[in-house]
Amino acid sequence: MTNPTVAEEWVAAPLKRLMEDARLLSGVLLYPSGRAVGQFGFSNAADVMSICALTSAINASARELGRQLDGKPFYEMHHAGAERQVFMARASAGAQEFLFVGVFDRESSLGVVAIYFAEFQKALEKLLPEKQKPAVGPTGDFEGELNRSLDALFGPIGKR
Amino acid sequence: MKGVSQVVATLSRVPGVVAAMVVGASDGLIIEASEVVGLSPGATDMRKPTAALAAYLYSKTTRASDAARLGTPAFMRLEAEKGHLCVVGASDVVLVTIVTPGANLGRVRIDMMNAARENA
Repeated sequence: MTNPTVAEEWVAAPLKRLMEDARLLSGVLLYPSGRAVGQFGFSNAADVMSICALTSAINASARELGRQLDGKPFYEMHHAGAERQVFMARASAGAQEFLFVGVFDRESSLGVVAIYFAEFQKALEKLLPEKQKPAVGPTGDFEGELNRSLDALFGPIGKR
Repeated sequence: MKGVSQVVATLSRVPGVVAAMVVGASDGLIIEASEVVGLSPGATDMRKPTAALAAYLYSKTTRASDAARLGTPAFMRLEAEKGHLCVVGASDVVLVTIVTPGANLGRVRIDMMNAARENA
């Protein structure tokens, strides 16, 4: 299992702990705008790019669906495939919101992942740098933001 | 077959049982749980993490038992400083109890295994 690669150093330790404790195969931490903050289990920037775009879109849809059906946004989603399962959830640290998507198999379980995700969320709250930039909404430059974060994770295009 | 509510009610009445739960074997999520005996107001409810980790532990124990060619585990008891954690598998669920150190473990074991047999 490889260590997470991160665009923001302070998330490295909690992300590594989540990966190990919950026995996740792969995972991506990102901002709701789609900008990647950290990842593990991926060696290809294109895969992370797709996951960020899809997770961001799924979060927006699920948030609205939750509002319509339950009066409040959904916080967690789970999809159980035949071999692998996907866990997707929102985490917040201060005013900053994050999305996390993780993949696991029969070596873990939804209950175990949910427990360690709750601990991960507490760690983010605790470790959030005081001088963290205030939460900002999407700038509209989705592709630019995503590419900059992928450069931080995998190195600039051409050197990946 | 007893309903899960009845299983939980039966197990939670056994002397020394602090909490009884029926938990999904594959996902570790609580299906039915009793109240926690003696849980003080504002104290952290330990049922959810206990359920998930106990189900996880039981699945690993099953593999260890299988690797040792001992077959399916009948009863799992984890003895800790302040009590016991007992787990019995029953088809797609596991029965989990949190038990005080001084409890009659023989009674707990028999009642859990009977409940599992009736649920299998």
